[in-house]
Amino acid sequence: MKKVLVVDDSLSVARLLEKIIAESGDFTCVGHARDGAEAIKMNHTENPEIICMDMNMPGMDGLTALRTLSVMDKEVKVVMVTSLGGVGDKFTEALKLGAKNVISKPFEADNVLRILRAL
Amino acid sequence: MAVKFFGQFMVEQGIITSSALLDAINLQDKNNLKLGEMAVTMGLITSADIQRAHNAQMSRDMKLGDLLVEMGFLTLAQLNDIIIRQKNTHLYIGEALVQVGALTSDQLQNHLDAFKADQAKYISNGIELPITTTNNAIWEMTADLTYKMVTRVLDLKFRPGACTPVTVITANFMLAAMDFSGDVEARYLISVSEGLQKAIAKAILHEESVDAEPLEVLEDTVMEFINVVCGNVAAKASQMGVIMNINPPVSLHPPAAGLTIPEGHTALSFPIHIEDGDTLELLLVIKN
Repeated sequence: MKKVLVVDDSLSVARLLEKIIAESGDFTCVGHARDGAEAIKMNHTENPEIICMDMNMPGMDGLTALRTLSVMDKEVKVVMVTSLGGVGDKFTEALKLGAKNVISKPFEADNVLRILRAL
Repeated sequence: MAVKFFGQFMVEQGIITSSALLDAINLQDKNNLKLGEMAVTMGLITSADIQRAHNAQMSRDMKLGDLLVEMGFLTLAQLNDIIIRQKNTHLYIGEALVQVGALTSDQLQNHLDAFKADQAKYISNGIELPITTTNNAIWEMTADLTYKMVTRVLDLKFRPGACTPVTVITANFMLAAMDFSGDVEARYLISVSEGLQKAIAKAILHEESVDAEPLEVLEDTVMEFINVVCGNVAAKASQMGVIMNINPPVSLHPPAAGLTIPEGHTALSFPIHIEDGDTLELLLVIKN
């Protein structure tokens, strides 16, 4: 099973994503980071294959963390999960920084799993 | 289920790859010249003229085209010619995807139809504010999108009440707030009772019961709801040509006397009467 790290300052979104991941049968959640800096640390300690990361977080935001992760770890695949997905500039910036895809909130479990399975 | 632009819809659906979208965006960037670049390409002005106008823009709140006319670098007729040329040569993302080989023209039309059907639920339904604010169209869209998200995300049946200006935000069990910055400045707030907080938590967590959930999680679900609404508002605003940035949400517990609206701001209340008799309130505190 592929290891997934969830990064979101929202407890409720993290809970929902962890539930979707746990019930998928294909993925296992290795932890929950609450900002970009914690995500970078947990990427090192938990070595996930996939990171599902929010963009708009207090402290280090998702795009800043993505920029760092793209340099530090060429293997990990990052998918942004954000309410700002529909803002064209933010979406394009995430892809240019190396995100594999961007999931807009509100999301549906089917859509999340389809995108994770396609990575 | 969210406000999207066409390229994002295509990547999310797995119809094109993200690298194909980036190729198409790069093609757009090369093709769709900015006003100054187009003026230089048409031989009407020089790059040095543009630089002078950009320098002047630092102390003048004017669009580049208007400034170029005012500074005598262009005539009004030349400015109009440039704008028409920009419109006539504009490469849209769908056509750019065809040009980079990600789609055929026939496929493009089919996917555009599917995209329009997906986004039809977010077309605005003509709310009108009772007063004039800095940007009525943006705040009418914000209220409209809030109503749509109450239906789609919270699955609550409701009747919108009349929008009224207020000078005090009345105390309630909890308020969740997010600040907008960019082309407009405002604070977006949702005010909820204890019962509505639980109703929102059930919908956001997809749980039948939230009685055992800690208060921190219950509050977080209300903040997440407004995060979803405000992110989609920012997306819709970008389609309207208005930049709206958002900061992470916060929870507020006002004193019994409520919160007074600060000077230089206009506050609007949008009561949302829920089917069970409770009332959710949307408040917009807009900088004048």
